Amino acid sequence: MAVVVQASSVERRPAWYGRVPSAWWVIAVVALLMPAVTNDFILFQVFGWALILGMIALSLQFLAGYGGMVSLLQMTVAGIGGYGVAILGTSGVAAISLHLPWWIYIPVAIAIASLFGTLVGALAVRTEGIYTIMITLAIASAFFYFARQNYVIFNGYSGFNLVVPPHLFGVDWRQPMPFYYLALACAVLSYLAVRYVARSPFGLALQGVRDNPRRMAALGFNVTAHRIFAYTFASVIAAVGGILLVWQNAQISPGTAGIPAAIDILVIAVVGGIARPIGPFVGALIYVLLRAFTPDVLTAFGMSGERFKLLIGIGFLVIVYFSPDGVLGLWDRWRASRNSRVDPLTGGER
Amino acid sequence: MGEFMQRHPAWSVVLTFLAAVLLWAIFAPWPDGLEEVFGRKRIFLNAVFSGVTLGGLYFLVASGFTLIFGLMRNVNLAHGSLYLIGGYLGFEFSEATGLWLLSFVFVFIVVGLIGVVLQYVVFRRMEGEDLRQTLVTIGLSIVFADILLWIWGGQSYTILTPDWLSGPTKLPVISSIKSNGEVVYLSYPAVRIAILAAAIVIGVLMWLALNRTRIGMLIRAGVDDREMLAASGVRIQFVFVAVFAFGAGLAGIGGIVGGTFQSLSPGEDVRFLLASLVVVIVGGMGSIPGAALGALVIGLAEQLGSVYAPTYSVVFTFLIMAVVLAFRPQGLLGGGR
Amino acid sequence: MNAPVSAATLSSTAFAGNALELRGVTKTFGALAALTDVTLTVRPGERRAVLGSNGAGKTTLFNCVTGDFLPTSGAIRLFGEDVTRFPAHERIRRGLRRTYQISLLFAGLTVTENVYLACRGVSRGRFSLLRPGRSDVLMARARELIEAVHMADARDTKVSELSYGQQRQLEIALALAGAPRLILFDEPAAGLSPAERADLVAILTGLPSHIGFIIIEHDMDVALRVAETVSMMHNGRIFKEGTPREIESDAEVQELYLGGGHG
Repeated sequence: MAVVVQASSVERRPAWYGRVPSAWWVIAVVALLMPAVTNDFILFQVFGWALILGMIALSLQFLAGYGGMVSLLQMTVAGIGGYGVAILGTSGVAAISLHLPWWIYIPVAIAIASLFGTLVGALAVRTEGIYTIMITLAIASAFFYFARQNYVIFNGYSGFNLVVPPHLFGVDWRQPMPFYYLALACAVLSYLAVRYVARSPFGLALQGVRDNPRRMAALGFNVTAHRIFAYTFASVIAAVGGILLVWQNAQISPGTAGIPAAIDILVIAVVGGIARPIGPFVGALIYVLLRAFTPDVLTAFGMSGERFKLLIGIGFLVIVYFSPDGVLGLWDRWRASRNSRVDPLTGGER
Repeated sequence: MGEFMQRHPAWSVVLTFLAAVLLWAIFAPWPDGLEEVFGRKRIFLNAVFSGVTLGGLYFLVASGFTLIFGLMRNVNLAHGSLYLIGGYLGFEFSEATGLWLLSFVFVFIVVGLIGVVLQYVVFRRMEGEDLRQTLVTIGLSIVFADILLWIWGGQSYTILTPDWLSGPTKLPVISSIKSNGEVVYLSYPAVRIAILAAAIVIGVLMWLALNRTRIGMLIRAGVDDREMLAASGVRIQFVFVAVFAFGAGLAGIGGIVGGTFQSLSPGEDVRFLLASLVVVIVGGMGSIPGAALGALVIGLAEQLGSVYAPTYSVVFTFLIMAVVLAFRPQGLLGGGR
Repeated sequence: MNAPVSAATLSSTAFAGNALELRGVTKTFGALAALTDVTLTVRPGERRAVLGSNGAGKTTLFNCVTGDFLPTSGAIRLFGEDVTRFPAHERIRRGLRRTYQISLLFAGLTVTENVYLACRGVSRGRFSLLRPGRSDVLMARARELIEAVHMADARDTKVSELSYGQQRQLEIALALAGAPRLILFDEPAAGLSPAERADLVAILTGLPSHIGFIIIEHDMDVALRVAETVSMMHNGRIFKEGTPREIESDAEVQELYLGGGHG
């Protein structure tokens, strides 16, 4: 019986490319052709940066959206990934950097950052809800102060400069176009990974833990272990984002993983919407565009360009006050209201 | 206390021993051998007293935070902004009038009113929505921080101590004994003593108000059972607004205190928010005695750390927090959740 | 992959000792004693009803057995193993299951996903990052279970869109996942229509004979029809045990419970 049902469902199912909505194809083509139509600044400083911040915020979206754990730690994990490549690889601070080959320092940096994320996660999951935010915030600032004070490993206040991606396959990956494609590839892979894992046994169990930890325990799941593993998974994504970030800036210092940066990641994820993995990228694009262009706009209106933070703060405030599910939530509601108005005319179901 | 000793005899012995060592180190003259290892006793004493005073300041700020959280489950991550606003306003007021003491009243009222607005506009509409409260107050703190930077700029300000509180006071604590047998007593800025005394008085009053008055007990009952409180005839929203205003006002006068014996500059808001978080996490969320203990521990750790391990003193506080979390997630004096 | 243990292999390895043993279990909340010195033995495959008025401690008893609460004192043995200090998920992996009085389901997931999770919880690969393939054994097992509780039509419906009765049925499907040996049913008939109650009785009496259960139920009709033994609780104590017939005719029980508006 079951076999028959499966066979028919296979027939009804279109091939994978047929199931991808057409809007995604448009986005994919635009993203791939972007270098042909924009200049290097837009490519490197706007889209490159947005993709990286989007990845780090995506790791928060995974934890918050699927695991119900709002962690302010993700920027710190990214920072440790960045510090990892600076310390293990090559930087302007020759006395500290170990000059290991890229195929060692990249995986080791990701592993160290993920281990850190897992350990802190193990501490943070002992608490719930608002406590998680406070504890991860406190640990994030502890790392910031530690890195600022420590000169033996983290080179203190100044950090590391001249941290660049390795020249591989004859390409200078820090040139705007290669870097853009590198960031795009990493971002798309992380996005697909999150979407895929969300429907895997682990992802389903994690959402079960989010909705109903007691019931999950009564089904035989180890609730704590699932939460901790979620931190591990998210940390890998954040670490990759952090490595790209240090390559983009060519430098890293304690401020990279400071409290304002950690808050920015939260702002990005929430403004975009934490219900879906595309949200962080939407939020990151908005954030980067604001940062890149508001100083000019503000100056044009006779205000100091420094006030962009005020603008970002107010924008964030308005969104969280009126739409807890972010810009995507606004978009969904607008579409829903438009459809409900259309429905009676077409007679079709929404 | 007795219950604790019964349940944890080993810990009680260790804690009593530590307290005795600390008291001895403070009051007895140090033998030469000890001074060689730890340096001058005066330095140690100064660190301890600075730590206790800093603890008093932390308590002022954190007690408002823990009060608001403990009674209403409201998460106010703009608490550090209230501290900084209070500090700047106190600075302006005492600069303009020269009345340092009156600036406390002024700031308490103004920042308390800001708290009333926050409670009405933000928290009352998001009761029970932890995450939204957190996000909105983070947004508020970003906005506040930039407005304050706009108005007061990036430089740091120090509020002048009034004449009658400036200068040192001699304490009945032996600092050192000179070779001719003359006993040198520790001298310490009078204003800090005053601050510490004020923090203790406020703490005791808060505890008494919550535990010994009818309204305080009603509030505490209301935390667990809103309907019971409403049924008892107390206007719950009024009580919440009052508590919020009081907590905010405390953060505001904390700003004056901090501006008097340290300084005010952008970034202090985050520093004191973090300090409040660490203090209440260590001490136990929503507990006034917990906030006092946490503030004392963190203040001492910071000051002793900055004397004996200057590089990592900031990290100490977070280390303490991590250890507490690992072994007692509800905080030292927090009830079970 | 690990195949789900079939009923046949299970019954051949049926456990010789007691399925559940409670020795002097007491649970206090502050000054309130919810359970006082409860001693209870359930044989493998036994079907027992626990009856008593509201607040008699029935649900607390379940919570202590599943590990939601740790008992204040006393010992709990599950299939011969002392599980008093075990976390909930470890007990579940030893063949214990329960349903909840209030539906604790995953509202955002479909019926199939809910049952799949339940199957996954008691098998290996809980942390798998790979999506279940179409030939996944657990997925097939989930479909079987859905059919067993007569819900095949609602397979792809989100739980939030199910009727109340369907949610109760799904609760039972979750409890049947894996290889259950002892199931705790907490008021499964509450809020069901007469037709749904008949369906429930059919599902319960039709369970394989190696699966024992304890049922808390206010509907005496349902409870006495599915149970072989009955324990009566009052004020946190078990004060009488017997067959349904004995209990029905007991004067004390009549006065305390059956007389009180039931029947």
